[in-house]
Amino acid sequence: MHTLFLDAPFTGDVSLSSSVLDYLQSKKVTRVGLYASVQFCSQLEKVYAQLASAGVEVVTSKADRTHVVGQLLGCDSDLASLNLTAAQHESIEAYVYVGDGKFHPLALVYAQKDLETTQVKEVVCADPMTNQMSIMSVDVIKGILRKYRASLMKFLSCSRVGVIVTVKPGQEHLKAALTIEKKFPDKKFYFFVDDNVSFGQLENFPFIETWVNTACPRVGFDDQEKFERGVINLNDAFLAAKLVSKTSLMMKV
Amino acid sequence: MTLYDAELNSAILRIKEVDAKVVCIQLPDGMKPMAQDIERAITEATSARVLIWLGSNFGACDVPLGLPKMGCDLLISWGHNQFHKKAEGW
Repeated sequence: MHTLFLDAPFTGDVSLSSSVLDYLQSKKVTRVGLYASVQFCSQLEKVYAQLASAGVEVVTSKADRTHVVGQLLGCDSDLASLNLTAAQHESIEAYVYVGDGKFHPLALVYAQKDLETTQVKEVVCADPMTNQMSIMSVDVIKGILRKYRASLMKFLSCSRVGVIVTVKPGQEHLKAALTIEKKFPDKKFYFFVDDNVSFGQLENFPFIETWVNTACPRVGFDDQEKFERGVINLNDAFLAAKLVSKTSLMMKV
Repeated sequence: MTLYDAELNSAILRIKEVDAKVVCIQLPDGMKPMAQDIERAITEATSARVLIWLGSNFGACDVPLGLPKMGCDLLISWGHNQFHKKAEGW
């Protein structure tokens, strides 16, 4: 079977509204990290020009799973995956996201969860469809990070763990999932397969004390509340002891 | 005017290039209401049978399984570009 992906580019004008530019000026922002979802990222010339005229430098990158520079996916939700160095992150005063919705820009907030700071770089969301601006700060994920922190601790202390693996080729990570047994020889891991994460089925396996997610990493965050027994993402499971001993944003909120 | 360009010329061109007999169209939620127009455009321009994916389209990581068993020879997925899966897991 052949597959064709079509970007479905936005048909309107892609530019920053005066409210975005005024906000950046009011905060004395001189350098931003710029990202956009795929419908907008091929039409950013005007945005670059506007920022240059306002004296704002741009830092961007090609995130691991994306196809073009400046594109943002929901799953590239950590700095390493964004291919952004800590120094680059430090060098900017804010992120600017061009696009609609909350899903993509939230990745830029989650990307800061393991930094040893409480000063999150705000994400200034510029929606070309509505010309509305919204600001995302750590406040939008505080509750989730607290639950995630509790899930990390539960994972470390429990003995029976359910590992969720999806059969969807783009999200399937069985090989990586199976390596968790060697890292934690004292725990019993049960491997569950599904073509989507069936939240309603979780309670049918009461012997599972907590869950590890290997499908979309955003499931571990955005869907945290759907896991009564908690869930963490696979990459964090490997680092769980280190993560809970850090003075990171996630451990401080 | 629609908010997104469905790039129908590209879709139809690819259907003809691969001589697809059964095409599945997969749309993100924001474009699902455009399924009627897309189906019409494809069936008017080609002889392909169009199947409309009802379920999720979270990204290019989220392509439907089982389509070849139904004789589907082309999947067209809107709203995403090529996904570069990290082979080593995450």
